[in-house]
Amino acid sequence: MSSEHKIRSFLEPAVLSRLGSVPFLARRPMLGKVSGRHASPHRGASVEFAEYRKYVPGDDLRRLDWRAYGRSDRHYVKEFEADTNLRCCLVVDTSGSMGFGSTGVSKLAYAKKLAGALAYLAVQQGDAAGLACVAKGVVRSLPPRRNPAHLAELFDQIEQVESAGPTQLVGTLHELAETTAQRALFIVISDLFVDPKELKECFEHFRFRKHDLTLFHLLDPQELQFSFQRPMRFLDMEGGTAVFAEPNEIADRYHTALGRYLELVKQVSIETAVDYHRVSMADDYERTLTHFLVGRTRSGGVR
Amino acid sequence: MSFLEPWMLAALPLAALPILIHLINQRRFQTLDWGAMRFLLEANRMSRGYARIRQWLILALRTLAIVGLVLAVSRPLASGRLGLAAGGRADTTIILVDRSPSMQQRGKQVASSKLQRGVDQIASALESVGSSRWVLIDSVSLTPQELEAPKRLRTAPQTGSASAAADLPALLRAAHDYMQANHAGQTEIWICSDLRANDWDAEGGEWSILRDSFQEFPQGVRFHLLAYPEAAPANLALRVTKVERQKTRQGSEVLLSLTITRSGDDNTIRVPVQFEIDGARSELSVELSGLESTVENHPLPLTSERVQGWGIVSLPADANPADNQFYFVYSDPPIRRTAIVAENPALVRPLQLAASIAAAPGVESEAVVLGPDQIATLPWEENSLVLWQAPLPSGRIAAALQSFVEHGGSVVFFPPANPTDANLFDVEWQAWTEPAEPLAVANWRGDQDLLSRTLDGAALPVGELAIYRYCTPKGETTPLATFPDGAPLWARRDIGSGAAYFCATTVLPGDSTLASDGIVLYAAVQRAIAGGAERLVATQQRVAGVGSMDTSKWQKLAGDSEALSTEAAFQAGVYSLDERLVAVNRSTSEDAAAVLADERVDGLFEGLEYDRVADRVDSLAGLTREIWRLFLIGMIVALVGEAALCLPKRRPATANLASSDLAKGRAVA
Repeated sequence: MSSEHKIRSFLEPAVLSRLGSVPFLARRPMLGKVSGRHASPHRGASVEFAEYRKYVPGDDLRRLDWRAYGRSDRHYVKEFEADTNLRCCLVVDTSGSMGFGSTGVSKLAYAKKLAGALAYLAVQQGDAAGLACVAKGVVRSLPPRRNPAHLAELFDQIEQVESAGPTQLVGTLHELAETTAQRALFIVISDLFVDPKELKECFEHFRFRKHDLTLFHLLDPQELQFSFQRPMRFLDMEGGTAVFAEPNEIADRYHTALGRYLELVKQVSIETAVDYHRVSMADDYERTLTHFLVGRTRSGGVR
Repeated sequence: MSFLEPWMLAALPLAALPILIHLINQRRFQTLDWGAMRFLLEANRMSRGYARIRQWLILALRTLAIVGLVLAVSRPLASGRLGLAAGGRADTTIILVDRSPSMQQRGKQVASSKLQRGVDQIASALESVGSSRWVLIDSVSLTPQELEAPKRLRTAPQTGSASAAADLPALLRAAHDYMQANHAGQTEIWICSDLRANDWDAEGGEWSILRDSFQEFPQGVRFHLLAYPEAAPANLALRVTKVERQKTRQGSEVLLSLTITRSGDDNTIRVPVQFEIDGARSELSVELSGLESTVENHPLPLTSERVQGWGIVSLPADANPADNQFYFVYSDPPIRRTAIVAENPALVRPLQLAASIAAAPGVESEAVVLGPDQIATLPWEENSLVLWQAPLPSGRIAAALQSFVEHGGSVVFFPPANPTDANLFDVEWQAWTEPAEPLAVANWRGDQDLLSRTLDGAALPVGELAIYRYCTPKGETTPLATFPDGAPLWARRDIGSGAAYFCATTVLPGDSTLASDGIVLYAAVQRAIAGGAERLVATQQRVAGVGSMDTSKWQKLAGDSEALSTEAAFQAGVYSLDERLVAVNRSTSEDAAAVLADERVDGLFEGLEYDRVADRVDSLAGLTREIWRLFLIGMIVALVGEAALCLPKRRPATANLASSDLAKGRAVA
């Protein structure tokens, strides 16, 4: 496959190889089609004992625990956990505001790096990876698949996507939560410039659908610091009205608004059990991903 | 407000620099594509009141800082209202200095007197205010004197102390005359005085005339009054009231009466009074319990048989050194000689009696009778009075009489039997009038001159005189007594320092009852003698500045050595003139500490541009001060305020939110 030999700007093999040593786990049971390394809601044939169950007619006699029968004179069936793969759905915000970047890297480029690496890691460990690029609606989408050819296509999509248009993140996320089969891993990479209250409903929807939702909240250092010396004319990257402001004059109120918003987003995340990661663009994406993966390992794959 | 470096004010437009920079900055905006618009829009919706005020405040403080700096380097001058008053540069600045003895009063903290301090303050004020001409008029000479520079005020002898009382209306009149004569432009008149009521004569009629005449100047006159009305606490003043030389068994002595007065303070104290007479010193301790203490006839023995001499009485130094000394001279009184010239021998006897009987013991009087042609042989310099009943003389005799009167002698003219058209002192006799009824005197001057009341206050019986015949003198005279029709019985004409009197009738029984009711005649003749004898008195006690005297031949024997010799008549001391001795002392009114109330002073300058310059003789501060420090401090305050407002507020740590919350966000997971 020629596309595999392409050099992707958002992929760094050295980083991927380092990250590859850390397993990419889900926080809750996933529903995959093949065996994998993730917990499944169903009983299966793994080596990990789950429970004893009374024998009911029709059960496979091979699964009877004869030793238990010997001890208790009752028929028990020994059950084991099932291991399955997961469907990792990467949702990348490609609205206009994602084009912003004061550190030389735009938020979209950063998002691409995250999405690319995560897709690679997922496919590498046998999970299916899909992509949904979201702006005014779903701009591009690829259903989750686990074969390497699909990965190449996914990379192509990621490479081609560009930031443009307004954000309709909430509506699109609702749609994705509903249309994707239950128990998938959703990774949303966005600057989340939407109303936190709407976000809350959206996240609850994901929770209801038993999806594992992870949020990478990308923020540029300049957006956080808002340190300008001169009067500025701010052009809306999503096509809204321009704002003329004396930064010294407005900085206080900007920070108040920003602080309030960030506090609210965090609150919503806690309430809806979203795996929330606030990422400054100044941070190295490898470090961000390591933190993410290691954190998941520690929680240890809940069944 | 005035500035020492006014050209620096040209930099004031720099104050607009912060505004300009602000405007330029506003135009130098950058355009930026921005993602987080929702926060900007939200921030815009929030109340921006304080932030806007803060921006304006910062701008205002920056402007103020520059203004403060520019004003500070322009070296502004001000002192209360003075700063406002001394706005423009005056064409002429006239300085009126009150040199009266009360201006010698010293402050408690400062060693300089009111006069020195006032002059010094005005000099420093004028040095910084600026003017084209400076003119000094002092209360002694009343002569305008142009100064090269205000600092000359400090060294000018005309600003030294004097013993003569000041006459503020006369000073202002001199200033007015100077302005009129020199066509002065915008004029500032500085007055340095201690507001003594006797110097200011606030009740006098001249003030209203002065006000009007100053108001008539179109160019504008501004008055600055630098007044020191503070009274000296516990100041003692000494005054010799009587000096008498008398013979004793051992020789002779001088009897001295003196008064010590003080202002305020009722404690009983003992004051050592020092006497110095002909070089011999003695001391007397006087107890002072009230405000005044008197010593009567304190004997001072004379060491020699000198007929005349002088001495000093002095008190210890106190707040006002000018009233601690009193000079006196003593001598035997001279013989009072009267020359009687009468064409009618019948007239001689009453006149001779009236002239030769001495009015006081110890005073010798004598009268000689001369014919009109013998008068040329009269020793004029020893004579006090001439009684002339003959046609008015002319030629050499008239000239001799004129000189005699001009030098202080007295002449009483009685009408001749046959009046001629001869004229002396612009007066001539008219024809005799014989009224049907004897005339009585209707009015006479009982307050002064020949017919004034006696020492005990009783009026002379002028009204009891009966006049049968009279001959009116024609000419410009001052009537002392008049008939009902207004014709004068006694008239006076001043010539030089003496006086000529005209009596409209004679002492003949057929003419009047002047001789038979001799009291009026006697009193009038004796007073005329006394007036004429004054010039003969070998020793004189004079009040400084009173009367016009030729002081060119005066030799100073005692007194302030720094005083100008031309001001001898105005400086306390003892002077000799040929054989005579003169003691000059301050006037009695100087001891009256009455001060004009502020409202009264304001009233005197009503309608004129006038301000009081506040200063105290105790104060160490100057009148005009450079106040650049104030502006510098203002600038610093403005800068500190600006810095405080510009200080970035402690922002919520949103800048670090991302990294620090990474862990927190993960904790949720």
